[in-house]
Parts: sequence; C-alpha cells; structure tokens
Amino acid sequence: MAKVLMKGNEAIGEAAIRAGCKNYFAYPITPQSEVAEYLVKRMPEVGGVFLQGESEVAVGYMIFGAAGCGERVMTTSSSPGISLMSEALSYIAAAQCPAVFVNIVRGGPGLGGILPSQGDYFQATKGGGHGDYRLLVLAPDGVQEAVEMTMNAFTLAEKYRGPVMIMGDGLIGQMMEPVEFPDDLKTDPSNKDDWASNGMDTRNSKKRNLVRSLFLDPKELNDNNLALKAKYEQMKKEEVLFEGYNTDTDYNVLIVSYGTMSRVCKTSIDMMKEEGIEVGLLRPKTLFPFPEEAVFTAATKESCKSVISIEMSMGQMVEDVERCVKGQREINFYGECGGDIPTPEKIIEIIKGLL
Amino acid sequence: MNIDIKGIVIICGNYGSGKTETAINLATTRKTDGIDVKIADLDLVNPYFRTREAKDSLEKMGIEVILPDKKYMHADLPILAPAVAGMIIQPSELTILDAGGDDVGVTVLAALEDHLSKKQVHMLQVINPFRPFTEDVKGCIEIKEEIEHSSKIKITGIISNANLIDETTPEHIYKGYNFIKDVSKATGLKIEFITAPSHLIPELKIDQFTCPVLEINRKLNLPWKKGLNT
Repeated sequence: MAKVLMKGNEAIGEAAIRAGCKNYFAYPITPQSEVAEYLVKRMPEVGGVFLQGESEVAVGYMIFGAAGCGERVMTTSSSPGISLMSEALSYIAAAQCPAVFVNIVRGGPGLGGILPSQGDYFQATKGGGHGDYRLLVLAPDGVQEAVEMTMNAFTLAEKYRGPVMIMGDGLIGQMMEPVEFPDDLKTDPSNKDDWASNGMDTRNSKKRNLVRSLFLDPKELNDNNLALKAKYEQMKKEEVLFEGYNTDTDYNVLIVSYGTMSRVCKTSIDMMKEEGIEVGLLRPKTLFPFPEEAVFTAATKESCKSVISIEMSMGQMVEDVERCVKGQREINFYGECGGDIPTPEKIIEIIKGLL
Repeated sequence: MNIDIKGIVIICGNYGSGKTETAINLATTRKTDGIDVKIADLDLVNPYFRTREAKDSLEKMGIEVILPDKKYMHADLPILAPAVAGMIIQPSELTILDAGGDDVGVTVLAALEDHLSKKQVHMLQVINPFRPFTEDVKGCIEIKEEIEHSSKIKITGIISNANLIDETTPEHIYKGYNFIKDVSKATGLKIEFITAPSHLIPELKIDQFTCPVLEINRKLNLPWKKGLNT
C-alpha cells in the first residue's frame, strides 16, 4: 500500500480499524480529539461504533463492558481524562479483560496545559488506579511506530487478557508523518469463550462466565493477584522492546530517553558526532516492562562514564534508570515540562556539561 | 507563470491539508514581490502547528501578523482577535486569513459574514491527495460543500499541496497536479496554483503546468529538525 500523510491521532484511529476494533468510546480532550474526529467518520464504514460518553469515568466503564463481552475495544484520552478512567483501569486489570487505552499526554498536574509532556510516566507504569496491577505500556517515537504499536496493542491485550496502554506525548498525536499500514489483523481473541460474558448461545461451552473484580474470599483474591503477577513476570521475559542509537561506538555518555524526546536526542547525537563527540542513546519502546538489562548493559559499557535520563517531565523515568544501573554509574537528569520541547542545542549544552 | 493574487484570500481545507504552510509561504512570496501583506491566524480549532509559530520570521520581513492576545496563545479557546474584522474593513494589497481545518475550522468565518459579504473574497481550498478523506474527487467535493455550508462562503479556487513532507518526490507533485485538474473539471473551480518544496523545483518540468507554482520553504518544523537546519 502506498504511503499516506497522517496525523498521529488519525493514524492511531486507522490502526484500530485495521486491528479489527469495532468499539471505540471516548470523550474529547486536547491534544487527542482528532482520534474521535477520525473514527466518527470511519467506524460506520466498517460497521463499528463510536460513542461519546458523558465523561471519562463513563467511558472507562463502557470499555470494561465491551471488553468483558470479549469485544475488541479502545479508548483514547489525554492526561486528566486518563486520571478519571483510572478506577475502571484497575477493575479491568482485576477482571482480566483485554482493552487498549491511548494516552496522548499533555502537561500537568491538574489541568496543566495542552502542549506535549511525558509527565504521566509514573501514572502509566506504576499504577494510576488502585491495587496490585500493571499496565503494559508502549511508547512510540513517531506516527509509523504509533500505528504498529496500536495494532500490536490489541494482540498483546488479548495475549495477556489485560489493559495495554499506548503512551505518546502531545506531539505524537498532532504531528504529521508519512505512514504505511501493515496487513490487517485477522485474528480473533482465541480463548474468549473461556472467560468472556458473550452470551451462552454464542459459544459451545456450557460454562457460565462471570467477569468480576470482587473476590471476598482472601484465598481467591490472593490467587487472582498471583495470576496477575505471573502475567507481569511473563511480560518482563517476552515483551521488552528498546532501541540503541550510536551504541556501537565508545561513547562517554549514555542518554536514556523515549518518545519524541528521544528524536531530539538523536539529532543532538548526530550533531555532536560531527564534532567528534560520541554519545549513545538507549530508547525504551516498552516503559513497562522496562528494558532493565539493556539499560544496565549500555550504562556499564567500559567507555561510558555517565548516564543521563532526558524527559519531558521533572524526573520520573530516571528512577527506573537508577534502579537498573544499580549504582554502577553516575545518573543525571534533564527535563522540561512546560510544553516547550528542549532543543537539540540545549541537549548538547547539557551533555557537554557532563564530559 | 507567477502568482498574482491580491485582495482578501481565505485559505481553507481539511485538517492537515497544509493550509498554514501554504498561507505562510504565499505571504512571504507575495511580500518578496513587493506588495503589502497581512496575515491572520483564524485557526481556533487546533492548538498545534499554527501560524503563530512563524510569527517572528514573518514580522522580520515586514508582514503584519494578527494573532490572539499573547496570554491566550497556548489556549485551546475560540478567540477571534478584534483586529481581524479591522483587517477585512481596511485590507492591505494582500490580506490572508488562515482558517482552521474542515467545516468546524471555518465556522468562525460566518461570524465575520457582515464584513466579508461587502468584499470580494478569494476562498481557496487546499488539497493534498495523500491525506485521508481527500484521496478522491468525491471526498474533495464533500469537504468543499461542508466548508461552504459552515462558512456561508463559496469556494472560488483550489490549490494542490500534494506532499509527504520529507518524503515528497517530483512524482507526488505530478500526481497532485493531475488530481487537482480532475477536481477542477468536476467542480468548475479555477486552479489558483500548486505547491512544491523549493528543493524539488529544479527537478520539475515547470512549463508543463498550466498554473503557477508556489515554492514551499517549510516554516513549521518538528523540534528535532530545527537543529539541523540552522
């Protein structure tokens, strides 16, 4: 298929269609409203549904309902909206239902601003909602990757029967890049008759399926948490994704950065290379599971003296970097989170200060 | 063949068709031709990638840029600067109104109807056939009708802005040109001009186009591209 020019938000919408998602519920919020703008036109063409909830709280439970029926379902929102959905996210995780959540992050806390930010890293990777659950979090660095990750998010959500999040900053949603769509996802959730409340007459089994997050028996609740934990351990073994950039050189500094911030860092690395300065970049593509071993290995390379986490936040992922490097190297941080993305020149100035 | 457009020009089209890049480059080209140019950012819909990002470089050239008050610059509020009505009442030789995307983006024009109805206005629809919903003639006509309905203004001309940003090749420009001819045939609308990135101009057989070509020097770049350009 020939390339088309798409906004990240539109491309995420189209990717959901091509992944066979026929249920999209959302509430508008800048900077992700174009997903709904796009899908309100496209969903009817494929026999799907877009329904705008009366709030993000309602949307969260629409997602739970559809997911509990074994339907492929997605919502998109931005930071404050995801906060409102966090209760439902916790319920969906507990009830083990597959669903895709997209957060096109804007500045926070509170209403914050409408410009790009990565300030929801903690919310995405460390909870947000209550209880012992994790989200599998994918962080694209551009429109093409947003397409691939969105389509893959449905597969992962069904593999692990749980919520999967795409976390992109505002720029991922708003910028336009040429994209190519992979083949449509043809599979259906293979095991849904074993768990989904999809109606007795639609399946062969006579087993009654109950989708729930309430476990009053302490042993039952503990077992459910153990089942969740086993999935998260499996994710750590099977789903870690990352990219190394200029890491085959004898770099003195290693940058850890993700999303659009990492693209600014790559430009800085290319510019410094022209001056004879080698800097490596490790870009996590999954924020949970975090590329723990890859960060440790890249940070402890003999030539590497210092590590810096560069984020559009006040320092969130840096805590994971510190955890992974285990005190073997000095860990630094640079971040801005007003909405202005640090320039390549600014990053170079910061890196030179570490040399 | 040169672009000789004057008067009040409204740039409209679907989301992401390239209205703002077209408006900014039209402003700078005409200013370089030696005529007076004013430009107003009427995009009340999308807070990213707007005319306001090119404000400084336009003002340096002596182009008057009309934007909402600075303190509202990063708000997603529908603010229409009162100066916009003023620039319609007293236009300069070329007055460009850069509207927002789709039918919702031009709704604001209906609020200016009193002022606009007394003037002759060029209402130009920007089309990039490599964008969703305008990849066929039918899609372009649908958008045209939606825009006309919301703005209460008839579209008077069309612009081909065929591009894939960095991945644009001469073939895309030719394809866009053939496509805009089909849209013109179906609608009876004049092709005002087509656009081409400046670095591709030497590779193009310009004389085969029966309309002018607007050179595009991208002003709204992504943050990681700014460093390499300077």
